[in-house]
Amino acid sequence: MSIIEQITQRIKEHPLPSMVAFEILKTIEDEDHSLKDVVKLVENDASLTSEVLKMANSAAYYRGQPVTTISRSVLLMGEMMVVGVAICVSTSIIYQMPLDGYESPEGELWDHSLRSAIACRELAKFTKGKVNPGLAFTAGLLHDIGKSIISEFLVGSTKEMTDLCASREAADYIEAERRAVGTDHCEVGYTLVQKWGLPEMLCLALRDHHHPSKTENQYKHLVYTVHLGDIISMLGGAGTGSDSLAYTVDNEYEQYLNIQKDELSLILLKVEEDFTELKETLMS
Amino acid sequence: MNVIYVGVGEYEVSKTPGEIVKTLALGSCVAVVILDPKNKLVGLLHVALPESSINKKRAMERPGMFADTGIPKLLDEIKKFGYDGKGGLIVKLAGGASIMDPNNTFNIGKRNVLAIRKILWRFRLGAIAEDVRGNISRSVSVDMNTGKVIVTSPGRGEWEL
Repeated sequence: MSIIEQITQRIKEHPLPSMVAFEILKTIEDEDHSLKDVVKLVENDASLTSEVLKMANSAAYYRGQPVTTISRSVLLMGEMMVVGVAICVSTSIIYQMPLDGYESPEGELWDHSLRSAIACRELAKFTKGKVNPGLAFTAGLLHDIGKSIISEFLVGSTKEMTDLCASREAADYIEAERRAVGTDHCEVGYTLVQKWGLPEMLCLALRDHHHPSKTENQYKHLVYTVHLGDIISMLGGAGTGSDSLAYTVDNEYEQYLNIQKDELSLILLKVEEDFTELKETLMS
Repeated sequence: MNVIYVGVGEYEVSKTPGEIVKTLALGSCVAVVILDPKNKLVGLLHVALPESSINKKRAMERPGMFADTGIPKLLDEIKKFGYDGKGGLIVKLAGGASIMDPNNTFNIGKRNVLAIRKILWRFRLGAIAEDVRGNISRSVSVDMNTGKVIVTSPGRGEWEL
């Protein structure tokens, strides 16, 4: 079996995370849905109920009064952030695995993804309302999930890939991955979440986060947000091993996010501040 | 061996033989290592941003986050551990990486390195060794027994600074 066939097989066998996150996503997509529909889905899942309440009572959302109901939590956090929490709950085991093909230890993918998610949520505020912060958070959380599958096929090629990038023979790590195994973590992640039935805009955010100009016009605000969120996370030191920073900024982002240098630095600080608390909230 | 981890915006000083002082995954951040061979002291600071003026409240809470507030704090701490202020300090820098960026907007790494050199100069200090910039993330460790500063990067092995 070729490497590509083996990766395709691995995507097919990849366990489906708890479906509640996707059920909530589908519910939200229906414009006629009500708050009650979302609340009911959350309340039917005991662990999600507990995580949503913890998140609503964390410093990021706390408004002086403890939040004790799911309906209040959903109103406070927004529906898309509830999806983000549901994805955290159901996929954290996948994210905890070491990425041997990237020489990235256990837990690093989770830290990178959570920091990217926070950065995306903050960056969404600079899209003039075009991107829902909760949606950006969810996309940031999922953007590198393809690495959890492709990593084992990259073992043994890591030095060759970093050399290709250092010598500029490969334009970026995506090209280095493609030379090593014939596909890359973006494509693998895209195929995986398509199989899960996620909305197209989330799938494309995974596929195009390193080359956002390729994506469909109507989703560019979201995809550029994820592009920058990933970069901020890597600059802050939270990459996933050997590929960290081996990418190029697409400066067309200026058409989709109105953000200045100092604001980027402030987001870097905000990610640093919120990360520890959010990680503790979600893992406790 | 006891390892002291220095987080983002933190600084540590050690004079305990056998210890390793270490900071992980620098990205655009910079590790400022100050060695005092006479008193067998090592200080390590993990700087995230160049200027504290961007968030003064944060600078009060965590001065090590910024070059202009972190370096004076590290030097104060080294004095508390026994540095006599009579010179002989050795400074080494690592980190300050960037993403490939045609418009140079995301040049936090470069700005960190420049700000650190400027602040060090103010204290009449300069780095004798630097492994900075580029597009790689680095980790740094200092062995208290040998004073060796080791830089590592995933997929690229390790080397002495």
